Amino acid sequence: METKPVNKPIIEIVRATKIYSPDVVALEDISLSVPAGEMLFLTGMSGAGKTTLLKLICGIEHPDKGLVEVAGKDLNRIKAKEIPWLRQQIGMAYQDFKLLADRTVAQNISMAMEVAYHNIRAIKSRVIELLQKLRLEHKHDALAGRLSRGEQQRVAIARAVANSPRLILADEPTGNLDSKTTKLVMELFEDCNISGTTVIIATHDNDIYRDADYRVLELHSGRFLPQADMTTSTSNNMP
Amino acid sequence: MKFISTIALQTSRNLQKTWPTQFMTLLTVSLSVLIFSFFFLIYTNMINTGEKLGDDLRLTIYLEEEPVLEMQAQLVRKIINFSPVEEIRFTSRNDAFKRLAIQLGDNVDVLDDLDASFLPPSIEIYPKKSLNTLAQIQRFSEYLSTLPGAIKVQYGQEWIERFNYFTKLLRIIVVLSGILLIMTATFMVAYTIRLAVVARQAELEILRLLGATNNYIRTPFLIEGFLQGLFGSSLGLLALFFLYRWIQLRFTGPGILQLVDFTFFSPPIISIIVTASITLCIGGSFSSMRKFMRI
Repeated sequence: METKPVNKPIIEIVRATKIYSPDVVALEDISLSVPAGEMLFLTGMSGAGKTTLLKLICGIEHPDKGLVEVAGKDLNRIKAKEIPWLRQQIGMAYQDFKLLADRTVAQNISMAMEVAYHNIRAIKSRVIELLQKLRLEHKHDALAGRLSRGEQQRVAIARAVANSPRLILADEPTGNLDSKTTKLVMELFEDCNISGTTVIIATHDNDIYRDADYRVLELHSGRFLPQADMTTSTSNNMP
Repeated sequence: MKFISTIALQTSRNLQKTWPTQFMTLLTVSLSVLIFSFFFLIYTNMINTGEKLGDDLRLTIYLEEEPVLEMQAQLVRKIINFSPVEEIRFTSRNDAFKRLAIQLGDNVDVLDDLDASFLPPSIEIYPKKSLNTLAQIQRFSEYLSTLPGAIKVQYGQEWIERFNYFTKLLRIIVVLSGILLIMTATFMVAYTIRLAVVARQAELEILRLLGATNNYIRTPFLIEGFLQGLFGSSLGLLALFFLYRWIQLRFTGPGILQLVDFTFFSPPIISIIVTASITLCIGGSFSSMRKFMRI
C-alpha cells in the first residue's frame, strides 16, 4: 500500500488552553499537529471553541497556557515586526466577514494583496479570476455593504485566498450559501489545497466533508473529541 | 516601485475620503505660515535697515576748548584704547561755523551778527561695525563723556533707542507667531490625522489582520502630513509674496519704504520656512499615529 509522505507541520499546538474572563474556558488542553498541505475540518456545536482555535492559529488571540506554533514561529514569542509577515502567510475568512461596507467588492479583495505589495496589474487580474470562480464577476464594482450575506461571504472567502497564502482558515465559510454556491466555494478551497495550501475549515455543515477523504476533528466544550467518537458522531449525522 | 505605487494609491484614497478636513487644515497651516512669515519679513527688513543705519552711526563729542595737536593725539589714543574706531575727525570752531553756514544755504544771513567762534569745537567718531548693540554704544558714549574737555556726547540716542525697542518688540512678535505656527501646524495636523485614524479604525483593524506592516499603515498618513506642510507653507508664502508686491506698489515714493530697503525672503529662507513647516506637520502626523495606532 502506497503511503502519502507526511509534510513538516505548518501548525503545532501543544496543550493549549484559552480562558476568557472571568472563567469561560474556550479551549482546554488541546493539542494538534497539521502537516503542510493538509485539508482539515473542524466541527462542533456553537461555542465548542472552533473560532477560538482559528484565532489562536492566526495570532489574534494568545493561549493562556501551552504552545502555538505556526510556520515555525512560536506565537507567544514572535517579534512584533514578524506578525505582518505571518499574517500574510495566512488567509482568514471570518465568520462576520470583516468587509468594508463602503468599499467595492474589488477593493475589499485587493486589500489582501495590496498589503503584500503585489503590483496593481496582478491584483486586478487575480480579483477578476476569483470573482469569476465564485460567480461574482457582475459585482466587481458593487459596494460590499449592498451585497446579500451570501455574496459577502463569498467576497470574504475570495479575500482570504487572494494572496495565495500558505494557510487558509475559514470560519463557517458556507453558513449563508446555497448548495450550488457551497460547491463552488469548496472547489476553490480544494484547488488551493491541491496547489499546496493548508486549509482548515471550521463548520457545522457536515455535507461539505461527508464524502471526502479529509481529517475531521470535532470540538466539544473546548476539547477535541476522540477520533473514534467523532467518527461515530459524524456517521450518526449521515442520512 | 510596488511599495511606492501601493502607498500612493492608499494616500490618494485617504485624501479623497477626508478632503474637507484636509482642506481646512491646509488653510490653517497656510494662515499660520502667513502670519509668522509676515512678521518675520518685517523683522528681517528692520534688522537690515538697522545695520544700514549702523553704518552711518556717528558719535559727536563737544569740547570746551579746541585741543592742540598734542592733546588731539592724546584724545585719539584714549578713544582707540577703549574701542577701535573707523575714523576720528576733529572739527574746529571755524569749521563748525562754515558747515552750519553751508547747511543754512539761502538763510545764511542769520549768522551775520554772530561771532564765528560761538560754536563749540568737536570730535566726530565713526565706530567700527562690531559696536552694534545699544548697550555697547551707550557704554562708549559714557566713556567719551569722561574724556578731558568733553562737554556733551551726542549720537542720536533717542532715535536709536526707539529703533532698538521697536526691533525688540518685533522679535517678540516673531517668536510668538513662530509658536503659533508650531502649535497650529503640529496640533491641527495631529488632530486631522487623529480624526482620520478614528474614522478608519475598522479599516486599519482589517489591514492589520491581513498582514499590513506598520510602514504600510503609517506612510500614507505621514505623506498626508508632508503634503499639508508643503502646500500649506507654499500657499502661505505665496499669499505673503502678493501682499509684499501690493505694499511695494502702494507705498512707492517718499516715505518709510524709501528709507527701508524692503525686500522679500531669499530662496534659502523660503526653503527653511517650507522645510520647517513640513517637519512640523510630519511630526504632528507621526505623534498621532504613535498615540492612536499602538502598532
